[in-house]
Amino acid sequence: MQDTGKNIIIAGVGGQGILLFSNLLSKYYMKLGYELKISDVIGLGQRGGGVESHFRYSTKPVLSPFIKAGDVDYLLSFEQTETLRYLHCLKEDGIVFSSTFELTTSSVNTRLEKDMPESKTELIKQSGKKTFIIDPEENKSPDFDISKMMNIVMLAIYAEFRGYSHEEMMQIVRESVPEKFVAGNLKAYEKGISIARAELTDI
Amino acid sequence: MKMMNGNEAVARGAFEAGVKVASGFPGTPSTEVMDYTQQRYPEIYCEWSTNEKVGLEVAIGASFAGYRSLAVMKTVGLHVAADALGGAAGSQINGGLVLVVGDDVGRIAGDDYNDVRHYGNMFNIPVLEPSDSQEAKDLMIRAFEISEEYSTPVILKITSVICKTTSAVAIDDNITYKVNCRQKYKVSFSKVIMTTMMMNAKGSEHPKLTKCFNDFPAHMRQLAADSNDFDINKLELNGKKIGVITAGTPYFYTKEVLPDASILKLGMVMPLPEKLIRQLAEHVEKLYVIEDGHDIMEKNIKDLGVKVIGKELFPKFPDMMRFTPDIIEEKLVPDAPKRTLMEGIPFRLPVSCAGCSHLFISQILRNHKIKAAADVTCGLIGCFPHMESYSLQKCMGSSIALAHGYNVATDHKEKFVGMIGDGGFWATGINGLMNLIFNDSQSTTIIVDNSCLAMTGGQHVASSEFGFNYKPENKLEIAKVCEAIGVKDIVTVDAYEFENLEKAILNAVKSETNSVVIVQKPCVTKFKLPKGDAYSIDQELCTQCRKCINIGCLAIESKKGTDGKVEIVINEDLCVGCGLCSTACKFDAINS
Repeated sequence: MQDTGKNIIIAGVGGQGILLFSNLLSKYYMKLGYELKISDVIGLGQRGGGVESHFRYSTKPVLSPFIKAGDVDYLLSFEQTETLRYLHCLKEDGIVFSSTFELTTSSVNTRLEKDMPESKTELIKQSGKKTFIIDPEENKSPDFDISKMMNIVMLAIYAEFRGYSHEEMMQIVRESVPEKFVAGNLKAYEKGISIARAELTDI
Repeated sequence: MKMMNGNEAVARGAFEAGVKVASGFPGTPSTEVMDYTQQRYPEIYCEWSTNEKVGLEVAIGASFAGYRSLAVMKTVGLHVAADALGGAAGSQINGGLVLVVGDDVGRIAGDDYNDVRHYGNMFNIPVLEPSDSQEAKDLMIRAFEISEEYSTPVILKITSVICKTTSAVAIDDNITYKVNCRQKYKVSFSKVIMTTMMMNAKGSEHPKLTKCFNDFPAHMRQLAADSNDFDINKLELNGKKIGVITAGTPYFYTKEVLPDASILKLGMVMPLPEKLIRQLAEHVEKLYVIEDGHDIMEKNIKDLGVKVIGKELFPKFPDMMRFTPDIIEEKLVPDAPKRTLMEGIPFRLPVSCAGCSHLFISQILRNHKIKAAADVTCGLIGCFPHMESYSLQKCMGSSIALAHGYNVATDHKEKFVGMIGDGGFWATGINGLMNLIFNDSQSTTIIVDNSCLAMTGGQHVASSEFGFNYKPENKLEIAKVCEAIGVKDIVTVDAYEFENLEKAILNAVKSETNSVVIVQKPCVTKFKLPKGDAYSIDQELCTQCRKCINIGCLAIESKKGTDGKVEIVINEDLCVGCGLCSTACKFDAINS
């Protein structure tokens, strides 16, 4: 059956390359001829704030730029506190892809509030949704800096999960990132493929 | 088709409309309108003016010369420029004059929520509002046509949602730039002058006077009547149960949640198309108004005597910041499932970039318990409860006059300090400095010279060494200007020379006369300064007193180690090696 469209929330904190991620993904869907609306709600991202991108593609014109809570098919998150913020937005059969990376919030750092006592990774796993957890520590590589390129790793994992052409996706990466970063980004992409192939069977 | 966000689309619209002059002042969410115009369409003269009022006056002058002109600013900036708008509203327009104004609906970028449409009511001028990028481009062009045809300035209201949402725009690559020039009136005085002459002066029928007169109420009545036939106002008659009058992105929220509703979607929210409104009111059982922000359309519609449901059902500002599809569903769709956010997720307060010069100043003010006002600058983060370096913070450019007011009221017994960024200083802060000099005040001012408007992404200011129209000989020097204004005691110091900076601030505060400390360090984020060696915390020596965390640096965080024990650590990717944290540590635990 043809895919008529999906609603995706991409979440994380400033500096994780969320805008690049949604930009790369939008180029892939444009090539496939989908209609798109992408809303990048930046907030004070550069200064340690949360970043969320609402990404919608469809065979029909996309209406609302924001995805209603309960309508999210995929949550792709690069920071696990941020993952928790959007779990309630997922559809019953929605799927979570989350990094275990965590940037302690400034409110917890300065003891304005207490951190959650539970393990955030466990909270995500127990959400009742299908989850795919990626631990950047376990996947460190000498070839690229995973702390900066989790977005590209995630892009590969998502592409593998959806059965998309890695060749085309890598071509988009090549055309979109500055030349001096291409090699590192492609290494990150390949790492994403291998993580996905080894572990996606869980979903 | 090209993917564009709202800001890009507005810039494209300016190009297609043949705009000659674009001026204004940076402000989230609409800053990029100017950035894109300058980068992509070099045919258009662009300038970041010293403030919004100057920017609008430049555009008014260019419009009088017969050329299409645009002024861009955020709504809080239009408060600064409102006097200029009042002068232009109701007077004759030669070249089209459009104000592109960014409303931060939902306080997504952090403003208190203002609604630019109030100016439409106050000055009796049209307001257009797009609902996606395609309309942002189209309405930009339309705004110029309306401005010229009805001889009025026009406001194009864009919101943080429009500005930050990317969607497809039909672009004809064959369109070339054609400057649009139009000459009509040889004089154009503010409506105050014309109406005074028309109403009070004997012999006011003299042609030299009548040619100044502009019957602006008649133009607006004509525009209101014509707007019933405008294709930018769309009446979609569907089901008879629910009717909605809406504009902007709430149109799409409505379409998604209420697919069967009959909708009047307004591209021009002011003046209102009365006939279309009555037509929809007669067609449906219940009529709602769904508009972001304040209840402005709602009041105007109720003034027509049409019964609509608005804030009775949807509480407005300050109870609700902006519409979402969820809010409409909750109120108008029976049995909609309720979904709630997980409890206890900690929130993210903004913190400064690692190595920011503001951190040094905040730290010194706090260490010495110096009372100070912050301005609209990255340094305002020092007002947040984790830092508490400042006790007062208001609008852009205000801190110098705030401090002066405090000092005269307390007979200069407590020295209240004003801290201001270079952007705020040139915008309006310089007036505060002149004011305190000739009023014989002894205030202390700290001016943070980071060579750009850092908060909005690094646009140039009068003292920057770059800019759209930059020439080295035209660069203004903050120190020289302060000297010329008459400041007695001026010191310039590098932010990273902590001891010198501390001495300079303490001396300035102790000084018997008025004083200025200029703190120099280019913005670390904008200018990507070379990094020094990262610092780290010796966990053996660290007592977790958190003095270093309270600096407010993005690179310092508390983290649970693998054994579950909390440690204070410095993120070496983020640390720039400025060393401020090591000065805060009493236990010598922080070293590079």
